[in-house]
Amino acid sequence: MPLGLSRIGVAFLLSLAVAAVLVPVLNLTVASDSTWHVSTTNVVLFGKYLCYALLALSIDLVWGYCGILSLGHGAFFALGGYAMGMHLMREIGSRGVYGNPVLPDFMVFLNWKELPWYWYGFDQFWFAALMVVLAPGALAFVFGMFAFRSRVTGVYLSIITQAMTFALLLAFFRNDMGFGGNNGLTDFKGVLGFDLQNNATRCGLFALSAIALAGGFLACRAIVSSKLGKVLVAVRDAESRTRFIGYRVEHYKLFVFTVSAMMAGVAGALYVPQVGIINPGEFAPANSIEAVIWVAVGGRGTLVGAALGALVVNVGKSWFTGALPELWLFALGGLFIFVTLFLPKGLLGLVRSRRVASAAPVEAPGEPVTVIDRQAAE
Amino acid sequence: MPFGITLRRIVLAVALAVVGASGVGAHADTLRARIDALATADFAAKEAIINELAAAGDAEAVPALTALGNGDLQVRKTDGKVIIAVRDGNSYKAIDPVSAADLGPVDRAALDKIRVNNNLRRVISAVVGSLTLRSKDPSVRRAAADAVFKSRDASALDVLDEAIAAETDNGIRRRMVLARAAAILQTNRPEPDRLAAIAVVAEHGNQDAKDLLSSVAASADGEVKRKATASIALIEQSLAMWSVGQNIWYGLSLGSVLLLAAIGLAITFGVMGVINMAHGEMVMIGAYVTFMVQEVIRTSAPALFDVSLLIALPLAFLTAGAVGVVIERGIIRWLYGRPLETLLATWGLSLVLQQAVRSIFGPTNREVGAPSWMSGAFELGGLTLTYGRVWIIVFAIAVFILLLVVLKRTAFGLQMRAVTQNRRMASSMGIRTTWVDALTFGLGSGVAGIAGVALSQIDNVSPNLGQSYIIDSFMVVVFGGVGNLWGTLVGALTLGVVNKFLEPYAGAVLGKILVLVFIILFIQKRPRGMFALKGRAVES
Amino acid sequence: MTELSKSLLYLDGVTVSFDGFRALNNLSLVVGHGEMRAIIGPNGAGKTTMMDVITGKTRPDKGDVLFNGERDLTKLDEAEIAELGIGRKFQRPTVFESHSVLDNIVLALEGPRGVFSSLFARLTGRECDRIDEVLATIRLSDRRDELAGSLSHGQKQWLEIGMLLAQDPALLLVDEPAAGMTDAETAETAALLRRIAETHSVVVVEHDMTFVRDLGVRVTVLHEGSVLAEGSLDQVSADERVIEVYLGR
Repeated sequence: MPLGLSRIGVAFLLSLAVAAVLVPVLNLTVASDSTWHVSTTNVVLFGKYLCYALLALSIDLVWGYCGILSLGHGAFFALGGYAMGMHLMREIGSRGVYGNPVLPDFMVFLNWKELPWYWYGFDQFWFAALMVVLAPGALAFVFGMFAFRSRVTGVYLSIITQAMTFALLLAFFRNDMGFGGNNGLTDFKGVLGFDLQNNATRCGLFALSAIALAGGFLACRAIVSSKLGKVLVAVRDAESRTRFIGYRVEHYKLFVFTVSAMMAGVAGALYVPQVGIINPGEFAPANSIEAVIWVAVGGRGTLVGAALGALVVNVGKSWFTGALPELWLFALGGLFIFVTLFLPKGLLGLVRSRRVASAAPVEAPGEPVTVIDRQAAE
Repeated sequence: MPFGITLRRIVLAVALAVVGASGVGAHADTLRARIDALATADFAAKEAIINELAAAGDAEAVPALTALGNGDLQVRKTDGKVIIAVRDGNSYKAIDPVSAADLGPVDRAALDKIRVNNNLRRVISAVVGSLTLRSKDPSVRRAAADAVFKSRDASALDVLDEAIAAETDNGIRRRMVLARAAAILQTNRPEPDRLAAIAVVAEHGNQDAKDLLSSVAASADGEVKRKATASIALIEQSLAMWSVGQNIWYGLSLGSVLLLAAIGLAITFGVMGVINMAHGEMVMIGAYVTFMVQEVIRTSAPALFDVSLLIALPLAFLTAGAVGVVIERGIIRWLYGRPLETLLATWGLSLVLQQAVRSIFGPTNREVGAPSWMSGAFELGGLTLTYGRVWIIVFAIAVFILLLVVLKRTAFGLQMRAVTQNRRMASSMGIRTTWVDALTFGLGSGVAGIAGVALSQIDNVSPNLGQSYIIDSFMVVVFGGVGNLWGTLVGALTLGVVNKFLEPYAGAVLGKILVLVFIILFIQKRPRGMFALKGRAVES
Repeated sequence: MTELSKSLLYLDGVTVSFDGFRALNNLSLVVGHGEMRAIIGPNGAGKTTMMDVITGKTRPDKGDVLFNGERDLTKLDEAEIAELGIGRKFQRPTVFESHSVLDNIVLALEGPRGVFSSLFARLTGRECDRIDEVLATIRLSDRRDELAGSLSHGQKQWLEIGMLLAQDPALLLVDEPAAGMTDAETAETAALLRRIAETHSVVVVEHDMTFVRDLGVRVTVLHEGSVLAEGSLDQVSADERVIEVYLGR
């Protein structure tokens, strides 16, 4: 099959296609008292989950296939979200509370007279759309260039990615950063002329999220099934060995880290118009780690599993926070422990383990990388 | 004479406070009789009464005299009682001139002012000055001297000279001399006197002295102006030095907090290589143990409150240590060699522990009190040091040394290092490696617990307590160099001081961001930290 | 300079120390074009550290390491040195366990190593032939689609040698290829290395004296980070200092 799509992969793409068509139809055309009606609340809710799934996919690309456990992918997601949020703020125009055609409400409130230079261009959708991928991509590129060139790996990398998102969290909380401080960007009216409160717009965003997820999946699939993907797995399993046969490991890591950050940015950009707000809370390290557990639950190194994991955990979260809010953190915490101890290959790994063994890199005793190092040091 | 009025107000406040604290003695009756006599006396009789009061040397007369000078001493028409009338919003309230007791609101129309003339005011001013500056109570004398320094009241000079001659306490005499110098600078005394006064003030060298000299430099000319300006420059220099000192102190104080938070991690992460994201929650457990100890003491043995922290220390160590052992046995031992999984599992654990504490103790902050020996502050040169911070620094260093001794000088420490360096070899030499693992992790967690006892004194005890420390702690350990306790010490103190020095320029938040960015860049440069172990052992 | 210009690998006065311990002490070694050299020495003699220095994993404190008489290897990193034409086989077999045997060879196959060229890489017919040839040499043709992780220890050793062949370097560094092998496998490995040495320069580090005898090449004895003796196996085994090092303690 093209791109080495497995049956699960094909089924995943098909169900996304069906959902992209069926959910809007059931929301817009079926009467609201019918059992077949999909409520607008659910359209928005699942649209949000699809964005989370795309974020999970991007994490799986770097973690599952290249062994880079990023605890800061929430930052790329949030940056994409802020880029989109800035466009939506500009599109409010004079419909804001203060009616200023250029300055967003919070700037008027802070008594700013001029638009900061980094807000220029965001009134154009194409520019914002470009920034959605370029801003997280640039951050990932610069960060990765430093980190990978100096061979920061493993938990050290995880910890500094966490510090990175924490630093951004603090920065975006500041009012004088010009991103709305504590409250973030909100009170959006519309996008490209479509009213964001309108059901049809929401259905459109849902369908767009499904398409983006499918596109992201195909892109990841293309990457991991190419020779580059094989090099990535080689890096994951035996980094110095890969170096000794002549691959510039840092270039490969940088490439996949940047691509992954861009995907996370797209996910954030689709997320913001659906939930109607983006604030610094999205940079919280806890968010990034929670996204990692979606991937672990679904099964890392499987792509489809990562997306499914995001859906499963978030549906569970919605149910828990509605029914037993006290218990949600117990459940989430327990999930972290349970999955790492008893389900190292995730849900999909459980299904697949009897068939193909090419999936997750569950190191049995120790990590291959350390094996080489130890031996080479002898 | 505006300064004179200011002086009287300040002296009134000081004296009221003193009187209020000391209560009313038997001689209060004669004092009250004399004050009541003021109501009917003529000016000459008033002067006689005032001189009697001065002769009695009774500081308790000061509030009444001051009020008299200000025109606040009044006769209540209803009962003929002499009171001090104090403006209270739009109305007046009566205050007992001897006991300073609040006698309730009073109508202005129902009051009769006790009249004074300029001559009487002068007499009162001198008497008040001598009563306070030559009071038997050293704290009153000190306050009076400081009050003269603030008011720069030249009219107090004569009394001040007498007081200086009679003063036996060196500290107070210094303040009096300073006050005298300040007052002299307000007069037109000859240049040599004023220059000497500038020298005295300049020697004092704090912000007040600088302000005083600035006003002198602005109004005077010639040699006086020149000398005042030069002295200001000197004072500014020394002030800058003290502010650097204060920054270092704040930095060390923050560093000691970081050290406390990170030192347990230096064992679990640094020595064992276990990424424990629930480390902050061990700190939190220690803080809650402190809270519970104090609760029990409050309800059943309030007398023990001052030693509550000492009681909490071993309990926090044991509780957090026991939780640590359970975690190691239950979760972490299955994940050795898989650091990323350990990271995720312990993060999950931190969520569970936070929620558990939230369910048991509620989500809000819990009140943990400070024992008396940890409250208050003292001055050291130009520095203000709070006892709480001093104790935390001392405590952090003590914990550090203790841990160093445990690691380097005990059998357990030896076994621990053996196991972490070569597990198989240690095992074949008869060391029970699994127990060493569990106890090492327990030790790291227990140390985090006692850090929680200290941190409960300066931070909110809430379920989120631990989370605020986890990133900082990892930064300290990684920055200092993994597996090196000294590195953790230097790392914590460095980061603390750097943070505090950035704050004035960048603000607290931006300073913290800059430090984070600095560490991120630093790790790129030296991935194994400042004090990295080198060589073959590290490679494996 | 004549020695330098005709040498493929030239080490002169190389010193490496870790926290005061000298792993290599003023080590000098010359390997000529097309030569096969065996390096022996007791544990801690510095054999693996020497390999680390040649392949760029460890930077020497001082000394020269030249390749082809001109390229200074101490200035290059692992990937650059590998692209220059130095291949390394590790002591413990390290293959990419979650890749198939075929993919292991594909990854090692000589060709562009850049990110984008591998993103769009397709195997050419010539490359397929080359892969078949290598697989046949290491006798893993019929297991080409199996995961490398499922191979036996000896097969992994051979797969790693196969990866070296696919990489086609000018110089092969082979660290204890016979470790953990049966006698028959050891003999076959020696034969394989002799065949490789017809077209490549090879440096073999080995403990197993039978194996070294099977190779029948010039031997360098390392001890405490420097060269103790050099010559044929019979010559060095007659050297008294060598005997003392091996037997004296």
